Amino acid sequence: MIGIRNVSQIYRTRAGEVEALREVSLEVADGEFVAIVGRSGCGKSTLLRLVAGLQSATSGEITVAGTPINGPRRDVGFMFQRPALLPWRSVIDNVLLPTQVFKLDRRDARARAHELLELVGLNGFEKRLPHELSGGMQQRVSLCRALIQQPRVLLMDEPFSALDALTRADLTVELQRLQMKHASTVLFVTHSVDEAVLLADRVVVLSPRPGRLRQIVDIDIARPRSLGHDGHSAELGELRARLHDLLMTPEEVAR
Amino acid sequence: MTVTESRRTRPDKPRADARWLQHLPPVLGVVAAVALWWAITVVFEVESFILPSPVQVGQAMVEQADYLWDNTLVTLAETLLGFLLAIAVGVPLALIVTASRMLERTVYPLLLMLNAVPKVAVAPLLVVWMGFGQFPKVFLVFLVCFFPIVISTAAGLSSTPADLVELGRSLKTNWWQTFHMIRMPAAVPQLFVGLKLAITLAVIGAVIAEFVGATEGLGYAIVASGASADTALAFAAMILLGVLSVALFYLLAAVERFFVPWAGRS
Repeated sequence: MIGIRNVSQIYRTRAGEVEALREVSLEVADGEFVAIVGRSGCGKSTLLRLVAGLQSATSGEITVAGTPINGPRRDVGFMFQRPALLPWRSVIDNVLLPTQVFKLDRRDARARAHELLELVGLNGFEKRLPHELSGGMQQRVSLCRALIQQPRVLLMDEPFSALDALTRADLTVELQRLQMKHASTVLFVTHSVDEAVLLADRVVVLSPRPGRLRQIVDIDIARPRSLGHDGHSAELGELRARLHDLLMTPEEVAR
Repeated sequence: MTVTESRRTRPDKPRADARWLQHLPPVLGVVAAVALWWAITVVFEVESFILPSPVQVGQAMVEQADYLWDNTLVTLAETLLGFLLAIAVGVPLALIVTASRMLERTVYPLLLMLNAVPKVAVAPLLVVWMGFGQFPKVFLVFLVCFFPIVISTAAGLSSTPADLVELGRSLKTNWWQTFHMIRMPAAVPQLFVGLKLAITLAVIGAVIAEFVGATEGLGYAIVASGASADTALAFAAMILLGVLSVALFYLLAAVERFFVPWAGRS
Protein backbone atom coordinates (compact mmCIF):
# COMPACT_ATOMS: atom_id res chain seq x y z
CA MET A 1 0.00 0.00 0.00
CA ILE A 2 2.84 2.38 0.87
CA GLY A 3 6.18 2.13 -0.92
CA ILE A 4 9.15 4.13 0.31
CA ARG A 5 12.23 3.61 -1.89
CA ASN A 6 15.70 5.06 -1.18
CA VAL A 7 14.27 8.25 0.25
CA SER A 8 16.71 10.93 1.37
CA GLN A 9 15.91 14.38 2.69
CA ILE A 10 18.39 17.22 3.04
CA TYR A 11 17.34 20.56 4.53
CA ARG A 12 19.24 23.66 3.49
CA THR A 13 19.47 26.00 6.44
CA ARG A 14 21.45 29.16 7.05
CA ALA A 15 23.97 27.09 9.02
CA GLY A 16 24.47 24.70 6.09
CA GLU A 17 22.97 21.43 4.99
CA VAL A 18 21.24 19.13 7.45
CA GLU A 19 20.74 15.52 6.44
CA ALA A 20 17.39 14.46 7.92
CA LEU A 21 16.96 11.10 6.18
CA ARG A 22 19.42 8.87 4.34
CA GLU A 23 18.39 6.13 1.93
CA VAL A 24 15.29 4.92 3.77
CA SER A 25 13.28 2.11 2.17
CA LEU A 26 10.12 0.55 3.55
CA GLU A 27 7.12 -1.33 2.21
CA VAL A 28 3.84 -1.28 4.11
CA ALA A 29 1.24 -3.87 3.13
CA ASP A 30 -2.50 -3.22 2.77
CA GLY A 31 -4.15 -3.21 6.21
CA GLU A 32 -0.83 -3.26 8.02
CA PHE A 33 -0.12 -1.10 11.08
CA VAL A 34 3.48 0.09 11.12
CA ALA A 35 4.92 2.17 13.93
CA ILE A 36 8.01 4.30 13.45
CA VAL A 37 10.04 4.92 16.60
CA GLY A 38 13.25 6.79 17.12
CA ARG A 39 14.86 9.45 19.23
CA SER A 40 14.23 13.09 18.44
CA GLY A 41 16.12 14.19 15.34
CA CYS A 42 15.88 10.82 13.62
CA GLY A 43 13.61 12.24 10.92
CA LYS A 44 10.55 10.16 11.75
CA SER A 45 8.17 13.11 11.42
CA THR A 46 9.92 14.15 8.21
CA LEU A 47 9.33 10.68 6.77
CA LEU A 48 5.63 10.92 7.64
CA ARG A 49 5.30 14.39 6.12
CA LEU A 50 6.92 13.09 2.93
CA VAL A 51 4.37 10.27 2.68
CA ALA A 52 1.60 12.84 3.33
CA GLY A 53 2.87 14.97 0.47
CA LEU A 54 3.29 17.96 2.79
CA GLN A 55 6.87 18.27 1.56
CA SER A 56 8.83 16.56 -1.19
CA ALA A 57 11.87 14.36 -0.79
CA THR A 58 15.33 15.43 -1.97
CA SER A 59 15.70 12.04 -3.65
CA GLY A 60 13.95 8.70 -3.79
CA GLU A 61 10.36 7.74 -4.52
CA ILE A 62 7.22 7.33 -2.43
CA THR A 63 4.06 5.66 -3.69
CA VAL A 64 0.66 5.10 -2.14
CA ALA A 65 -1.61 2.48 -3.74
CA GLY A 66 0.83 2.28 -6.62
CA THR A 67 0.86 5.95 -7.62
CA PRO A 68 3.66 8.36 -6.72
CA ILE A 69 2.99 11.03 -4.10
CA ASN A 70 3.32 14.59 -5.36
CA GLY A 71 1.12 16.47 -2.90
CA PRO A 72 -1.57 15.87 -0.26
CA ARG A 73 -4.20 13.38 -1.41
CA ARG A 74 -7.75 12.55 -0.52
CA ASP A 75 -6.99 8.84 0.02
CA VAL A 76 -4.34 9.70 2.63
CA GLY A 77 -5.55 10.94 6.03
CA PHE A 78 -3.25 12.85 8.35
CA MET A 79 -3.53 13.26 12.10
CA PHE A 80 -1.37 15.88 13.78
CA GLN A 81 0.36 15.99 17.13
CA ARG A 82 -2.05 18.73 18.18
CA PRO A 83 -5.80 18.45 17.55
CA ALA A 84 -5.76 21.47 15.14
CA LEU A 85 -9.54 21.86 15.42
CA LEU A 86 -11.23 24.96 14.09
CA PRO A 87 -12.26 26.70 17.33
CA TRP A 88 -15.38 28.30 15.80
CA ARG A 89 -16.77 25.01 14.50
CA SER A 90 -18.76 22.54 16.59
CA VAL A 91 -17.46 19.00 17.05
CA ILE A 92 -19.59 17.62 14.22
CA ASP A 93 -18.67 20.46 11.84
CA ASN A 94 -14.99 19.92 12.56
CA VAL A 95 -15.34 16.24 11.68
CA LEU A 96 -17.21 17.20 8.49
CA LEU A 97 -14.57 19.68 7.30
CA PRO A 98 -12.75 17.30 4.91
CA THR A 99 -16.05 16.21 3.34
CA GLN A 100 -16.86 19.85 2.64
CA VAL A 101 -13.44 20.50 1.17
CA PHE A 102 -13.78 17.42 -1.06
CA LYS A 103 -17.48 18.19 -1.76
CA LEU A 104 -18.72 14.73 -0.74
CA ASP A 105 -22.39 13.85 -0.35
CA ARG A 106 -23.72 15.67 2.71
CA ARG A 107 -26.14 13.12 4.06
CA ASP A 108 -23.65 10.26 3.82
CA ALA A 109 -21.00 12.39 5.47
CA ARG A 110 -23.26 13.33 8.40
CA ALA A 111 -24.26 9.73 9.00
CA ARG A 112 -20.63 8.68 8.93
CA ALA A 113 -19.58 11.49 11.25
CA HIS A 114 -22.17 10.45 13.82
CA GLU A 115 -21.04 6.85 13.51
CA LEU A 116 -17.38 7.79 14.06
CA LEU A 117 -18.16 10.07 17.02
CA GLU A 118 -20.16 7.28 18.60
CA LEU A 119 -17.25 4.90 18.05
CA VAL A 120 -14.92 7.14 20.07
CA GLY A 121 -17.54 7.81 22.74
CA LEU A 122 -18.37 11.39 21.80
CA ASN A 123 -22.07 10.98 21.06
CA GLY A 124 -23.95 13.81 22.73
CA PHE A 125 -21.02 16.22 22.21
CA GLU A 126 -21.76 16.99 18.54
CA LYS A 127 -22.82 20.60 19.13
CA ARG A 128 -20.03 21.50 21.57
CA LEU A 129 -17.20 23.84 20.65
CA PRO A 130 -13.62 22.53 20.93
CA HIS A 131 -12.71 24.76 23.91
CA GLU A 132 -15.46 23.03 25.91
CA LEU A 133 -13.73 19.65 25.50
CA SER A 134 -10.75 18.08 27.28
CA GLY A 135 -7.49 17.49 25.40
CA GLY A 136 -8.26 13.78 25.00
CA MET A 137 -11.71 14.52 23.61
CA GLN A 138 -10.26 17.06 21.18
CA GLN A 139 -7.79 14.50 19.89
CA ARG A 140 -10.65 11.99 19.46
CA VAL A 141 -12.46 14.58 17.30
CA SER A 142 -9.27 15.00 15.32
CA LEU A 143 -9.11 11.22 14.81
CA CYS A 144 -12.71 11.19 13.53
CA ARG A 145 -11.86 14.03 11.13
CA ALA A 146 -8.89 12.06 9.79
CA LEU A 147 -11.15 9.04 9.16
CA ILE A 148 -14.24 10.79 7.72
CA GLN A 149 -13.06 10.73 4.10
CA GLN A 150 -12.36 6.97 4.44
CA PRO A 151 -8.68 7.24 3.55
CA ARG A 152 -6.85 4.10 2.41
CA VAL A 153 -3.88 5.20 4.46
CA LEU A 154 -3.89 6.92 7.82
CA LEU A 155 -0.75 8.80 8.85
CA MET A 156 -0.40 9.71 12.52
CA ASP A 157 2.31 12.03 13.81
CA GLU A 158 2.74 11.40 17.56
CA PRO A 159 -1.00 11.89 17.95
CA PHE A 160 -1.15 11.17 21.67
CA SER A 161 2.08 12.79 22.81
CA ALA A 162 0.44 15.94 24.17
CA LEU A 163 -1.95 13.98 26.42
CA ASP A 164 -1.57 12.73 29.99
CA ALA A 165 -0.56 9.10 30.53
CA LEU A 166 -4.02 7.70 31.33
CA THR A 167 -5.79 9.49 28.46
CA ARG A 168 -3.02 8.23 26.20
CA ALA A 169 -3.63 4.66 27.31
CA ASP A 170 -7.38 5.07 26.67
CA LEU A 171 -6.83 6.40 23.18
CA THR A 172 -4.31 3.67 22.38
CA VAL A 173 -6.93 1.06 23.24
CA GLU A 174 -9.52 2.88 21.14
CA LEU A 175 -7.24 3.19 18.15
CA GLN A 176 -6.49 -0.53 18.37
CA ARG A 177 -10.22 -1.26 18.36
CA LEU A 178 -10.84 1.06 15.39
CA GLN A 179 -8.02 -0.45 13.40
CA MET A 180 -9.19 -4.01 14.11
CA LYS A 181 -12.62 -3.00 12.89
CA HIS A 182 -11.64 -1.07 9.76
CA ALA A 183 -8.33 -2.77 8.92
CA SER A 184 -6.97 0.42 7.37
CA THR A 185 -3.28 0.86 6.63
CA VAL A 186 -1.64 2.98 9.34
CA LEU A 187 1.77 4.60 9.59
CA PHE A 188 2.19 5.75 13.16
CA VAL A 189 5.06 7.90 14.41
CA THR A 190 5.73 7.79 18.13
CA HIS A 191 8.51 7.94 20.66
CA SER A 192 6.61 5.67 23.02
CA VAL A 193 7.73 2.04 22.94
CA ASP A 194 4.52 1.01 24.72
CA GLU A 195 2.31 2.53 22.03
CA ALA A 196 4.39 0.92 19.30
CA VAL A 197 4.25 -2.55 20.86
CA LEU A 198 0.53 -2.37 21.60
CA LEU A 199 -0.56 -1.11 18.21
CA ALA A 200 1.81 -2.21 15.49
CA ASP A 201 2.31 -5.28 13.33
CA ARG A 202 5.85 -4.09 12.74
CA VAL A 203 7.97 -1.47 14.48
CA VAL A 204 10.52 0.44 12.41
CA VAL A 205 13.43 1.77 14.45
CA LEU A 206 15.21 4.79 12.99
CA SER A 207 18.59 5.98 14.21
CA PRO A 208 19.32 9.68 14.40
CA ARG A 209 21.56 12.14 12.51
CA PRO A 210 21.12 11.32 9.75
CA GLY A 211 17.89 9.35 10.00
CA ARG A 212 18.51 5.80 8.78
CA LEU A 213 16.51 2.63 9.03
CA ARG A 214 18.14 0.65 11.79
CA GLN A 215 15.94 -2.37 12.34
CA ILE A 216 12.40 -3.62 11.79
CA VAL A 217 10.92 -5.57 14.69
CA ASP A 218 7.91 -7.84 14.06
CA ILE A 219 5.25 -7.90 16.75
CA ASP A 220 3.55 -11.29 16.35
CA ILE A 221 1.12 -11.03 19.21
CA ALA A 222 -2.61 -11.63 18.90
CA ARG A 223 -4.99 -8.68 19.31
CA PRO A 224 -6.47 -7.16 21.36
CA ARG A 225 -3.29 -6.47 23.24
CA SER A 226 -2.90 -4.76 26.58
CA LEU A 227 -0.15 -3.95 29.01
CA GLY A 228 -2.18 -5.36 31.92
CA HIS A 229 -2.33 -8.89 33.28
CA ASP A 230 -3.02 -11.09 30.33
CA GLY A 231 -1.65 -14.06 28.42
CA HIS A 232 1.10 -12.41 26.43
CA SER A 233 2.57 -9.93 28.86
CA ALA A 234 5.86 -11.86 28.90
CA GLU A 235 6.22 -11.60 25.11
CA LEU A 236 5.24 -7.94 25.22
CA GLY A 237 7.76 -7.32 27.98
CA GLU A 238 10.53 -8.96 25.99
CA LEU A 239 9.75 -6.87 22.88
CA ARG A 240 9.53 -3.68 24.90
CA ALA A 241 12.94 -4.37 26.40
CA ARG A 242 14.41 -5.10 22.97
CA LEU A 243 13.03 -1.88 21.46
CA HIS A 244 14.14 0.07 24.50
CA ASP A 245 17.70 -1.19 24.05
CA LEU A 246 17.65 -0.37 20.34
CA LEU A 247 16.61 3.19 21.11
CA MET A 248 18.97 3.75 24.01
CA THR A 249 22.22 2.30 22.66
CA PRO A 250 24.23 3.97 19.91
CA GLU A 251 24.49 1.96 16.72
CA GLU A 252 28.22 1.18 17.01
CA VAL A 253 27.76 -0.66 20.32
CA ALA A 254 24.73 -2.61 19.07
CA ARG A 255 26.72 -3.98 16.17
CA MET B 1 -15.47 32.91 38.40
CA THR B 2 -16.24 35.41 41.12
CA VAL B 3 -19.63 33.85 41.59
CA THR B 4 -18.32 30.37 42.29
CA GLU B 5 -15.57 31.67 44.54
CA SER B 6 -17.87 33.67 46.75
CA ARG B 7 -20.19 30.67 46.89
CA ARG B 8 -17.37 28.49 48.02
CA THR B 9 -16.33 30.81 50.83
CA ARG B 10 -19.90 31.60 51.91
CA PRO B 11 -22.11 28.70 50.90
CA ASP B 12 -25.20 30.15 52.65
CA LYS B 13 -25.26 33.27 50.43
CA PRO B 14 -27.63 33.00 47.46
CA ARG B 15 -26.17 33.27 43.96
CA ALA B 16 -28.07 36.43 42.91
CA ASP B 17 -26.50 38.28 45.82
CA ALA B 18 -22.99 37.43 44.70
CA ARG B 19 -23.75 38.56 41.16
CA TRP B 20 -25.02 41.87 42.47
CA LEU B 21 -21.76 42.27 44.40
CA GLN B 22 -19.87 42.02 41.12
CA HIS B 23 -21.31 45.36 40.03
CA LEU B 24 -20.51 47.04 43.32
CA PRO B 25 -16.93 48.24 42.59
CA PRO B 26 -17.70 50.22 39.42
CA VAL B 27 -20.80 51.77 41.05
CA LEU B 28 -18.77 52.67 44.13
CA GLY B 29 -16.13 54.27 41.92
CA VAL B 30 -18.67 56.51 40.20
CA VAL B 31 -20.39 57.44 43.48
CA ALA B 32 -17.06 58.32 45.09
CA ALA B 33 -16.01 60.48 42.14
CA VAL B 34 -19.33 62.38 42.18
CA ALA B 35 -19.09 62.84 45.97
CA LEU B 36 -15.56 64.24 45.66
CA TRP B 37 -16.68 66.58 42.86
CA TRP B 38 -19.61 67.77 44.97
CA ALA B 39 -17.36 68.25 48.04
CA ILE B 40 -14.93 70.40 46.01
CA THR B 41 -17.71 72.72 44.79
CA VAL B 42 -18.98 73.14 48.35
CA VAL B 43 -15.69 73.42 50.27
CA PHE B 44 -14.01 75.83 47.84
CA GLU B 45 -17.26 77.65 47.01
CA VAL B 46 -16.57 77.39 43.28
CA GLU B 47 -18.70 79.60 41.02
CA SER B 48 -21.18 77.50 39.09
CA PHE B 49 -20.11 78.88 35.68
CA ILE B 50 -16.59 77.58 36.41
CA LEU B 51 -17.47 74.24 37.98
CA PRO B 52 -21.15 73.43 38.55
CA SER B 53 -22.04 71.01 41.34
CA PRO B 54 -23.42 67.55 40.53
CA VAL B 55 -26.82 68.77 41.71
CA GLN B 56 -26.83 71.64 39.22
CA VAL B 57 -25.75 69.31 36.42
CA GLY B 58 -28.53 66.92 37.40
CA GLN B 59 -31.03 69.78 37.28
CA ALA B 60 -29.79 70.82 33.84
CA MET B 61 -30.20 67.25 32.67
CA VAL B 62 -33.79 67.07 33.87
CA GLU B 63 -34.82 70.54 32.69
CA GLN B 64 -33.23 70.19 29.25
CA ALA B 65 -33.98 66.49 28.85
CA ASP B 66 -35.62 66.84 25.43
CA TYR B 67 -32.86 69.04 24.03
CA LEU B 68 -30.13 66.72 25.32
CA TRP B 69 -31.91 63.59 24.12
CA ASP B 70 -32.37 64.96 20.58
CA ASN B 71 -28.71 65.91 20.38
CA THR B 72 -27.62 62.55 21.79
CA LEU B 73 -29.54 60.81 19.01
CA VAL B 74 -27.84 63.01 16.40
CA THR B 75 -24.37 62.17 17.75
CA LEU B 76 -25.27 58.49 18.07
CA ALA B 77 -26.44 58.37 14.44
CA GLU B 78 -23.25 60.04 13.19
CA THR B 79 -21.10 57.72 15.29
CA LEU B 80 -22.80 54.54 14.13
CA LEU B 81 -22.94 55.55 10.46
CA GLY B 82 -19.27 56.49 10.39
CA PHE B 83 -18.35 53.31 12.26
CA LEU B 84 -20.31 51.08 9.87
CA LEU B 85 -18.83 52.91 6.89
CA ALA B 86 -15.34 52.29 8.31
CA ILE B 87 -16.13 48.57 8.63
CA ALA B 88 -17.56 48.44 5.11
CA VAL B 89 -14.41 50.04 3.64
CA GLY B 90 -11.78 48.90 6.15
CA VAL B 91 -12.40 45.15 6.14
CA PRO B 92 -12.30 44.76 2.32
CA LEU B 93 -9.21 46.96 2.20
CA ALA B 94 -7.52 44.71 4.77
CA LEU B 95 -8.35 41.72 2.55
CA ILE B 96 -6.77 43.40 -0.45
CA VAL B 97 -3.72 44.50 1.52
CA THR B 98 -3.06 41.00 2.89
CA ALA B 99 -3.65 39.39 -0.51
CA SER B 100 -0.25 40.46 -1.82
CA ARG B 101 3.04 41.66 -0.42
CA MET B 102 3.26 44.27 -3.18
CA LEU B 103 -0.07 45.85 -2.30
CA GLU B 104 0.78 45.79 1.38
CA ARG B 105 3.99 47.70 0.74
CA THR B 106 2.17 50.15 -1.52
CA VAL B 107 -0.81 50.86 0.70
CA TYR B 108 0.58 50.72 4.26
CA PRO B 109 2.74 53.88 4.12
CA LEU B 110 -0.24 55.79 2.73
CA LEU B 111 -2.45 54.50 5.53
CA LEU B 112 0.14 55.47 8.13
CA MET B 113 0.39 58.96 6.68
CA LEU B 114 -3.37 59.29 6.61
CA ASN B 115 -3.52 58.23 10.24
CA ALA B 116 -0.80 60.69 11.24
CA VAL B 117 -2.91 63.67 10.05
CA PRO B 118 -4.51 65.29 13.13
CA LYS B 119 -8.24 64.81 12.71
CA VAL B 120 -8.94 68.09 14.52
CA ALA B 121 -7.18 69.88 11.69
CA VAL B 122 -9.26 68.09 9.08
CA ALA B 123 -12.63 69.00 10.62
CA PRO B 124 -12.79 72.58 9.28
CA LEU B 125 -11.63 71.42 5.86
CA LEU B 126 -14.43 68.87 5.77
CA VAL B 127 -16.89 71.71 6.33
CA VAL B 128 -15.35 73.55 3.38
CA TRP B 129 -15.56 70.47 1.18
CA MET B 130 -18.82 68.95 2.32
CA GLY B 131 -20.87 71.73 3.87
CA PHE B 132 -22.66 71.94 7.21
CA GLY B 133 -24.79 68.81 7.06
CA GLN B 134 -24.28 65.51 8.82
CA PHE B 135 -22.08 63.99 6.17
CA PRO B 136 -18.78 65.70 7.16
CA LYS B 137 -19.39 64.45 10.73
CA VAL B 138 -19.99 60.91 9.55
CA PHE B 139 -16.91 61.19 7.38
CA LEU B 140 -14.68 62.29 10.26
CA VAL B 141 -15.92 59.37 12.36
CA PHE B 142 -15.09 57.16 9.40
CA LEU B 143 -11.57 58.63 9.26
CA VAL B 144 -10.76 57.94 12.92
CA CYS B 145 -12.29 54.42 12.90
CA PHE B 146 -10.88 53.30 9.61
CA PHE B 147 -7.24 52.85 10.61
CA PRO B 148 -7.59 50.58 13.68
CA ILE B 149 -10.07 48.42 11.76
CA VAL B 150 -7.78 47.95 8.74
CA ILE B 151 -4.71 47.26 10.90
CA SER B 152 -6.40 44.75 13.22
CA THR B 153 -8.16 42.90 10.39
CA ALA B 154 -4.95 42.69 8.38
CA ALA B 155 -3.06 41.47 11.47
CA GLY B 156 -5.71 38.80 12.07
CA LEU B 157 -5.64 37.64 8.45
CA SER B 158 -1.88 37.31 8.38
CA SER B 159 -1.52 35.52 11.73
CA THR B 160 -3.58 32.36 11.17
CA PRO B 161 -2.40 29.73 13.69
CA ALA B 162 0.26 27.51 12.11
CA ASP B 163 -1.52 24.23 12.90
CA LEU B 164 -4.65 25.43 11.08
CA VAL B 165 -2.60 26.49 8.05
CA GLU B 166 -1.03 23.01 8.04
CA LEU B 167 -4.48 21.41 8.33
CA GLY B 168 -5.57 23.30 5.22
CA ARG B 169 -2.45 22.14 3.39
CA SER B 170 -3.04 18.50 4.35
CA LEU B 171 -6.57 18.74 2.91
CA LYS B 172 -5.26 20.55 -0.17
CA THR B 173 -7.82 23.35 0.22
CA ASN B 174 -7.91 25.83 -2.64
CA TRP B 175 -7.44 29.57 -2.09
CA TRP B 176 -11.13 30.29 -1.55
CA GLN B 177 -11.64 27.34 0.82
CA THR B 178 -8.58 28.32 2.85
CA PHE B 179 -9.88 31.86 3.02
CA HIS B 180 -13.49 31.34 4.03
CA MET B 181 -13.10 28.14 6.05
CA ILE B 182 -9.90 29.00 7.93
CA ARG B 183 -8.26 32.43 7.54
CA MET B 184 -11.32 34.70 7.73
CA PRO B 185 -12.96 33.10 10.79
CA ALA B 186 -9.55 32.88 12.49
CA ALA B 187 -9.17 36.66 12.03
CA VAL B 188 -12.46 37.58 13.70
CA PRO B 189 -11.13 37.91 17.30
CA GLN B 190 -8.46 40.35 16.07
CA LEU B 191 -11.11 42.22 14.07
CA PHE B 192 -13.03 42.76 17.31
CA VAL B 193 -9.94 44.20 19.01
CA GLY B 194 -9.90 46.84 16.28
CA LEU B 195 -13.66 47.41 16.43
CA LYS B 196 -13.59 48.04 20.18
CA LEU B 197 -10.75 50.50 19.80
CA ALA B 198 -12.54 52.18 16.88
CA ILE B 199 -15.89 52.60 18.65
CA THR B 200 -14.30 54.59 21.48
CA LEU B 201 -12.54 56.80 18.94
CA ALA B 202 -15.76 57.12 16.92
CA VAL B 203 -17.53 59.13 19.62
CA ILE B 204 -14.56 61.48 19.94
CA GLY B 205 -14.51 61.89 16.15
CA ALA B 206 -18.19 62.81 16.06
CA VAL B 207 -17.74 65.45 18.78
CA ILE B 208 -14.69 67.01 17.11
CA ALA B 209 -16.69 67.30 13.88
CA GLU B 210 -19.60 68.88 15.75
CA PHE B 211 -17.34 71.54 17.23
CA VAL B 212 -17.00 73.01 13.74
CA GLY B 213 -19.91 74.19 11.68
CA ALA B 214 -22.63 72.16 13.36
CA THR B 215 -26.15 73.06 14.45
CA GLU B 216 -26.93 69.94 16.44
CA GLY B 217 -25.31 67.05 18.30
CA LEU B 218 -23.74 66.78 21.76
CA GLY B 219 -20.51 68.43 20.55
CA TYR B 220 -22.52 71.40 19.33
CA ALA B 221 -24.43 71.44 22.66
CA ILE B 222 -21.13 71.66 24.58
CA VAL B 223 -19.85 74.55 22.45
CA ALA B 224 -23.17 76.41 22.49
CA SER B 225 -23.77 76.11 26.24
CA GLY B 226 -20.13 76.97 26.95
CA ALA B 227 -20.51 80.15 24.92
CA SER B 228 -23.54 81.19 26.95
CA ALA B 229 -21.74 80.31 30.24
CA ASP B 230 -24.28 77.53 30.92
CA THR B 231 -21.54 75.28 32.24
CA ALA B 232 -23.98 72.91 33.93
CA LEU B 233 -25.57 72.08 30.56
CA ALA B 234 -22.12 71.58 28.99
CA PHE B 235 -21.29 69.16 31.79
CA ALA B 236 -24.56 67.31 31.28
CA ALA B 237 -23.72 66.90 27.59
CA MET B 238 -20.22 65.65 28.42
CA ILE B 239 -21.58 63.09 30.86
CA LEU B 240 -23.98 61.84 28.22
CA LEU B 241 -21.06 61.51 25.81
CA GLY B 242 -19.21 59.39 28.36
CA VAL B 243 -22.25 57.20 28.93
CA LEU B 244 -22.77 56.85 25.18
CA SER B 245 -19.16 55.79 24.68
CA VAL B 246 -19.23 53.23 27.51
CA ALA B 247 -22.59 51.83 26.36
CA LEU B 248 -21.38 51.36 22.77
CA PHE B 249 -18.19 49.67 23.96
CA TYR B 250 -19.99 47.14 26.14
CA LEU B 251 -22.61 46.55 23.48
CA LEU B 252 -19.81 45.62 21.10
CA ALA B 253 -18.21 43.40 23.75
CA ALA B 254 -21.57 41.60 24.14
CA VAL B 255 -21.82 41.14 20.36
CA GLU B 256 -18.31 39.65 20.44
CA ARG B 257 -19.18 37.21 23.23
CA PHE B 258 -22.23 36.11 21.25
CA PHE B 259 -20.51 35.59 17.90
CA VAL B 260 -17.00 34.61 19.03
CA PRO B 261 -17.45 32.68 22.28
CA TRP B 262 -14.21 30.82 21.55
CA ALA B 263 -11.99 33.93 21.37
CA GLY B 264 -8.80 33.57 23.37
CA ARG B 265 -9.64 30.04 24.49
CA SER B 266 -8.18 27.63 21.96
